[in-house]
Amino acid sequence: MSPKILDPLLKRELFNMLPFGVVAIDREMRLVTANPYFEKRFGAWHGKRCHEVFKGLPEPCSNCQARLTFADGIPRISDETGLDRQGLNCYFIVHVAPLRGESGNVEYVVEMITDVTETRLRQREYNLLFERVPCFITVIDSQYKILRANERFRQTFGESTGKSCFQAYKNRSEPCQDCPAEQTFSDGLERVVTQTGIAKDGSETDYVVTTAPLRRGSGEVMHVIEISADITQVKRLEREMLEAERLAAVGQTVAGLAHTIKNLLMGLEGGMYMLDSGLRKGDAERLAEGWEVLQRNFEKTVVLVKDFLSFSKGRAPDLKLVNPNRLAREVVELYNDAAARQGVKLTVEAGPMVKRALLDRDGLEACLTNLVSNAIDAAMTRDDSGAQVIVRTREEGEALIFEVEDNGCGMDWEVRQKVFTTFFTTKSDRGTGLGLLTTRKIVQEHGGSMEVDSDPGTGSRFRIRLPRPRLKMVAEQIAREAKKSPSDIK
Amino acid sequence: MDGKKILIVDDEPDVAAYLAAFLKDNGFVVRTAADGRMGMEQVRAERPDLITLDINMPEESGVRMYRHLQEDSDLKDIPVFIVTGISSNFKGFIETRRQVSPPVGYFEKPIDRVQLLAKAKEVLMK
Repeated sequence: MSPKILDPLLKRELFNMLPFGVVAIDREMRLVTANPYFEKRFGAWHGKRCHEVFKGLPEPCSNCQARLTFADGIPRISDETGLDRQGLNCYFIVHVAPLRGESGNVEYVVEMITDVTETRLRQREYNLLFERVPCFITVIDSQYKILRANERFRQTFGESTGKSCFQAYKNRSEPCQDCPAEQTFSDGLERVVTQTGIAKDGSETDYVVTTAPLRRGSGEVMHVIEISADITQVKRLEREMLEAERLAAVGQTVAGLAHTIKNLLMGLEGGMYMLDSGLRKGDAERLAEGWEVLQRNFEKTVVLVKDFLSFSKGRAPDLKLVNPNRLAREVVELYNDAAARQGVKLTVEAGPMVKRALLDRDGLEACLTNLVSNAIDAAMTRDDSGAQVIVRTREEGEALIFEVEDNGCGMDWEVRQKVFTTFFTTKSDRGTGLGLLTTRKIVQEHGGSMEVDSDPGTGSRFRIRLPRPRLKMVAEQIAREAKKSPSDIK
Repeated sequence: MDGKKILIVDDEPDVAAYLAAFLKDNGFVVRTAADGRMGMEQVRAERPDLITLDINMPEESGVRMYRHLQEDSDLKDIPVFIVTGISSNFKGFIETRRQVSPPVGYFEKPIDRVQLLAKAKEVLMK
């Protein structure tokens, strides 16, 4: 087809092919023609007036744009809401243009109608989502200015449009350290970090923020959208759980302490009885025995009090960055001679990937010392010469693990149930049964837990599990407590 | 009471020695054992007339030994005194177990030895 034919053909057919509505109306607002798209969307139009077809109104619209164009001949654009042929609300943009006759007067007005119903509905959904989603959402520019903030954000942090992000979230006068939005602006990648903000009522608000880039095509990042989930409640529960674990350890300790003291009292009473009856009978042997019993129970009382003081001392761990492998090696060195004397082979298996961690060095050293000394005692019970104790470190998932394994006598179920729960001891001549309790207390103060595998005859494996996210939380909590009561902490 | 035999089961040697001295002074024959397992051996070998039993012991606990005694038709009639440092709600616990009959005596450490003696005499007179 030659362009010569194409041109008039296109002009003739275009009216029928347009993907939007076109109508022409006269000064009476009557539709004189309409294209097929219009008829499909709005139904029958012959002989009807514009406002009847578009909106089902008997009278012309008060803001009728066509009338204005009839009067001044100037094209107009307007936003309209109408009813489609099914009577459903629809949204459209109307371009109004004059059609002049030969005299130059505006004889007809053409209305070109673009349907934007779908777009509008989607925009409304998006707005609803943006405002009502139970997260904080802000859109910021590269200067950290908040362009838009959603309802949940405004409720928690106050009206913030125009403020900077760090001011609104945290009441800071300068950008935060390691700002995730800054990184997203520079490389266009999403970041997820946990932060603590300050709400408008001054309370602390914990949130996990995702910073996502907004850009056109592959160009530079124009805006960053910050989407934050409020985890204040979760954090609070987690803190309460840590506290409850600490208190539970104290409660068990007190119950166990009462039991131990009762035994000591009975021992002392026994000693007194023997002295008393020995004197009465003139029984020198019984006198000596009674005196011995008194001395022994007195000694035990002294040891118990000392252990208990060290147990109850220092609630908040003193956290420093510690190399777990070095710590394990140092403890093993400390016990090398003692182990060798007892014929126990003591070794370290340090994990190659073990990273440094925030730990109370002295506390953890006490734990390992305790476990190693227990393990040597247990390994000594072997008859053959194969006694050995292995200290291991490793990373397991997100947790740092210390493990002390012996191939000694092991424990049956009943003993295993009791090792952490009371002042339990199988070494009735020495030991107060406080060692493992103290160990567990220190581990719990780090947000960690203790585990034990053991079988009678094959040995035991005690494990200290320190989840790194909880180590971080403990550090944050200690920092927070220090801030609140600086006088309590030296 | 002369010649009646009492077995003391307690892992605290000083407690066992105390009870042994006191009961001997009052005319009983006394045997001791440091845990439940040794306790059962002694019961079978010595046939005591009365047993004082600690609860919290390594190896085999007093609860387990008590159950072993109750399960043995030959031994279940030997009277048992529980002598323990565990708080008094344990008394309620052991007395409400349906599987075993309650112990005839219950003494919390440190014990009142006069009461213990009186109860022992009462039980052994029957």
